[in-house]
Amino acid sequence: MSAAAAIPVSSKGPTARALGRFITNRLALAGLVVLAAILIAILTYPLWWMYTPNQIDLRALNKGPSASHWFGTDGVGRDVFARLMQGGRISLLVAVTSVGVSLVIGFLVGALSAFSGRLADGAIMRLVDLAMTLPPVILLLVLASIVGTGIVPTIAVISLLSWPVLSRMVRARLLELRERDFVVAARGMGAGLGHLLFRHGLPNCIDILVVYATLQIANAILLEAGLSFLGLGIAPPEASWGNMLNAARSTSVLEQYVWQWMFPGVALVITVLAINFVGDGLRDAFDPRSDLQ
Amino acid sequence: MQMKTLTRAISVAALLGATALTTSVAAQEQKTITGGFDVGPGGFQGNFNPLAATGGFTWLNVYFEPLVNYNADLTAIEGALATEYSVNADKTEYTFKLANETWHDGKPFTSKDVKFTVDLAKNGETGTVFAARLNAIASVETPDERTAVIKLSRPDAGLLASLTKLMILPEHALAGTTPKELATSTWWATKPVGTGPFKFKQYVTDQYVELVADDDYRLGRPKVDRVINRYFKNTAAAVAALRAGEIQFTYVEPDDVSAFKDNKGFKVIEGQSFVVNYVGFNQQVPLWKDVRVRQAVMHAIDRQAIIDSLYGGAATVANCGYVAKQLVPEGLNPYAYDPAKAKALLAEAGWDKINGSKPITWLTYYNTPQAANVMAAVQAMLAQVGINVVPRVVDTPTYNGIIYAGNPDFSQFPLVYAGLQNGPDPSGLNIGLNAAQKPPAGANFLRIEMPELTKALDAALAETNPQQLNTRYQDVCKAMNANLPWATMWVANRYGVASTKLKDFVWVPAPAGGPYNAHPEKWSIER
Amino acid sequence: MLPYILRRLATGLLMLVALSMLVFVLLRLAPGDPIDAYINPNVAMSQAEMDALRARLGLDQPLPMQYLAWLRAAATGDLGYSIQRNGVRVLPLVLERIGPTILLMAAGLVIAILIGIAAGILSAVRRNSPTDIGFSVIAFFGISSPAFLTAILGLYLFSVVLRWAPSGGMLTPGAPFSVGDLLSHLILPACLLSIGHAALIMRYMRASLLEVLNQDYVRTARAKGVKEFWVIMKHAVRNALLPVVTLIGSTIGIAVGGAIFIESVFNWPGMGLLLINAVDTRDYPVIMGATLIIGACVIVVNLLTDIAYAAIDPRIQVA
Repeated sequence: MSAAAAIPVSSKGPTARALGRFITNRLALAGLVVLAAILIAILTYPLWWMYTPNQIDLRALNKGPSASHWFGTDGVGRDVFARLMQGGRISLLVAVTSVGVSLVIGFLVGALSAFSGRLADGAIMRLVDLAMTLPPVILLLVLASIVGTGIVPTIAVISLLSWPVLSRMVRARLLELRERDFVVAARGMGAGLGHLLFRHGLPNCIDILVVYATLQIANAILLEAGLSFLGLGIAPPEASWGNMLNAARSTSVLEQYVWQWMFPGVALVITVLAINFVGDGLRDAFDPRSDLQ
Repeated sequence: MQMKTLTRAISVAALLGATALTTSVAAQEQKTITGGFDVGPGGFQGNFNPLAATGGFTWLNVYFEPLVNYNADLTAIEGALATEYSVNADKTEYTFKLANETWHDGKPFTSKDVKFTVDLAKNGETGTVFAARLNAIASVETPDERTAVIKLSRPDAGLLASLTKLMILPEHALAGTTPKELATSTWWATKPVGTGPFKFKQYVTDQYVELVADDDYRLGRPKVDRVINRYFKNTAAAVAALRAGEIQFTYVEPDDVSAFKDNKGFKVIEGQSFVVNYVGFNQQVPLWKDVRVRQAVMHAIDRQAIIDSLYGGAATVANCGYVAKQLVPEGLNPYAYDPAKAKALLAEAGWDKINGSKPITWLTYYNTPQAANVMAAVQAMLAQVGINVVPRVVDTPTYNGIIYAGNPDFSQFPLVYAGLQNGPDPSGLNIGLNAAQKPPAGANFLRIEMPELTKALDAALAETNPQQLNTRYQDVCKAMNANLPWATMWVANRYGVASTKLKDFVWVPAPAGGPYNAHPEKWSIER
Repeated sequence: MLPYILRRLATGLLMLVALSMLVFVLLRLAPGDPIDAYINPNVAMSQAEMDALRARLGLDQPLPMQYLAWLRAAATGDLGYSIQRNGVRVLPLVLERIGPTILLMAAGLVIAILIGIAAGILSAVRRNSPTDIGFSVIAFFGISSPAFLTAILGLYLFSVVLRWAPSGGMLTPGAPFSVGDLLSHLILPACLLSIGHAALIMRYMRASLLEVLNQDYVRTARAKGVKEFWVIMKHAVRNALLPVVTLIGSTIGIAVGGAIFIESVFNWPGMGLLLINAVDTRDYPVIMGATLIIGACVIVVNLLTDIAYAAIDPRIQVA
């Protein structure tokens, strides 16, 4: 970025500056536009699309794309386009919610660890280590079996898998902060833990949280797909991009009914790609060094 | 510069790959059949102990043999290690004439081995799954080396069928091990000794099992030198290996058949599954007490349409637990597809008050794509008449864990989609339908208590006259058709695909893998 | 330093116990046990028979007793038998899988490092050229594609259609062992595994090299008339590699757990496949044993990383 462009924005606050940098990033903006289009489509599809995702038609099994079924039909004659839209809703719902949950857990654990005493810090960090050593398959199996496969367990699994990394980043950031004058002063004046967490901790981590959230949504979409592939995620007849892709396991679907897995695959990759562009844009925007270049 | 290193690395790898190819060609000098013999519902990868086998008999039968065995059509029981057998008049004494055969280690096979095996199979300490099935056996006598006499405490029409699954084990190799140690013995997977046409060479954990020809097999030396059973995580992986030419045979899902049908390199083998699929009504929940509700479910589901479209016609509508002609009497209610009638029946029964449109969990362990499609279709058809079912697919252990829990939560399985073996021995349904078979005694986990049906089943089991047997099972069929303990759906076909290079290869999709006389010694492969 | 290591090892041991307890409890909360996994619902068996089988395995004992029995045996190095494989001991079974997993992971990582670093350097040097844009687009796709989908498509294309590589397994069944055979089975899963890593490494390398190229010493070297090629290779790349090395280090710890998707699609006999099969069949002793070994590896790797950091960066104190 040129120095000329950096000067006018640098008089504003850091968030505004970041925003300024973000809107000059063409790739990130393109990602945002694509994402918005996808979101609008999947949220409004019942209004303008003639099929519903679970409407079967035994006379139109495995039909290729046509004027009435744009993306063809699946093994029981359900409209692939409608399932793609519904699957997008489910996949994104799962991704966004699980990232929300893991943000809260990750931030709270990391910040608590940073602001509390040595002993508590050590104990919490060992807990985080423990959570990171537990093989994910076990967690997946157990949660999936106790609660059953479905949306809620999948959200639970993904959020439980992803918070430890975030809490480590938050802790690392806040450890530096702990020794700064204004925090020490606030503590000296008897500020409560809540005050420390939300008045000092949160604003200082906001960039980590925003960047983590965006990139993690992309990961969560991939993870949902992977879980459904292993049969541990969203179970049919509910549609998700993951379980639609699962159809590609069968070689006959893979080669004869290409539309049944290709469209969900493309939708998934494009969505994740767009989110990654946005996430990268945000990361660059929040990076203070990017002003210097 | 990096590119150069990369190219060099690739060419080295290619060179090594080429040497690999030549070495494996050298290994192919031996005639080898490689297959996925334990793929699919009849297989049981990783189990080597025939006493503990709940499946995988096709493969076990390549190196072990039972006394008697089903023929390859699964229509009759014929000799295997016993060349002939006779039964006394009151059906309590079975005399087996044994074949001349040596164990793979050269020791002779005698009647003592038969006695040893039956005793082991009845001893719960070995982890056997046969104890209950063989409990009619009072003793085994060995008048001479070539004769074994099994004496029963009461007639048991199912004895011969149970004996087909009992692989005879060598006393000389196992007598030194206590029954308890046998369960965790490494013998089974490292150096088992059988009498079959092939002998055990090695097991590479979770990868494959290799057998080699037994040169002095009594029915002639096998035509191929080796048989290899490759393990696969799922059917899709086995199909990929078959398509890639790495294996010559595997079980395939019905959906895969179309990819092989018109391919000259492969032969599709089709056979009956002998498993009746049903929608099971849990009698412990208040939803299904009224027979009119159960009839409505039957009328609401267009079984023929599902068979025609989703099974490609390869299934038979079941109006009771059986579809075999000799077991199905005239005059059954066909429960034709009639949503209007279903709605009327539901209205009569007061379905609005019983449940209305509240969602009903529909539990299943069937997790194939085809089953998912079938369930989606049934769900839509039931929704049309006002029954709102929600499929819940779980894995087999979870399913068994739920339905067989010590103190079951019936609300977790008000309705199930399941299957039960109904042949070749028709008595298989008893364990799931007889009121006396409610857990823990049996597997009637739906707690079905229908006196007419129980009476019919008891009569069929006690029947010792083979001429009367079919009539007895026709009564069972009638009782099922009238009382509807299950909404019986169909008996579907199952498939295997073999390379056309295989000659005289016999395989049928028998439940639990059979066993049946597949005569592996006759299998051969073209170069 | 030594007391620190000893203390960390002690906490590590405690964590392993906590981990095993957690896994034990979680497993028993899940419906379905090894016997349930054993029974084919189509060929029914009575509950009484199933209970007899349970009793033989000791699954009817109270849970705390079962756990203590397991812990006592584990303390002496006895992890028991696999329930679903007759007579196979858990410890050798698990240890046997570490090799293949590390082989696959290492091969994947080596390919990823070679491709990632080369592409990263090219991209950074020819910034904003078509090469750079091309590599970046490919990298973005690599990061954004689900691993199992690329695995399935790769398997289909290279094994089923082109028949360039075997469709699964680690060695040709029944063939005598040869390195070539192993490599021919390894190459496809390793390449597919490397896609995600290569993309990540390429992006790190590019960013890091761009930053280094702006530094004073690089400008100095250029001003001194050092050839551009040597400027990049000797001065810039070496310094730019540091953050990339950290990235690679962090992936190694996770690697022991295996790549579940690749291993299950390619039937690669590694930890991931062992674990998911054990979970599918509720093979309790294998699950417990595998978790314990994986946990121990992760703890040791974490400790080594921390020590290495402390050695590199004097600002971090271990005490």
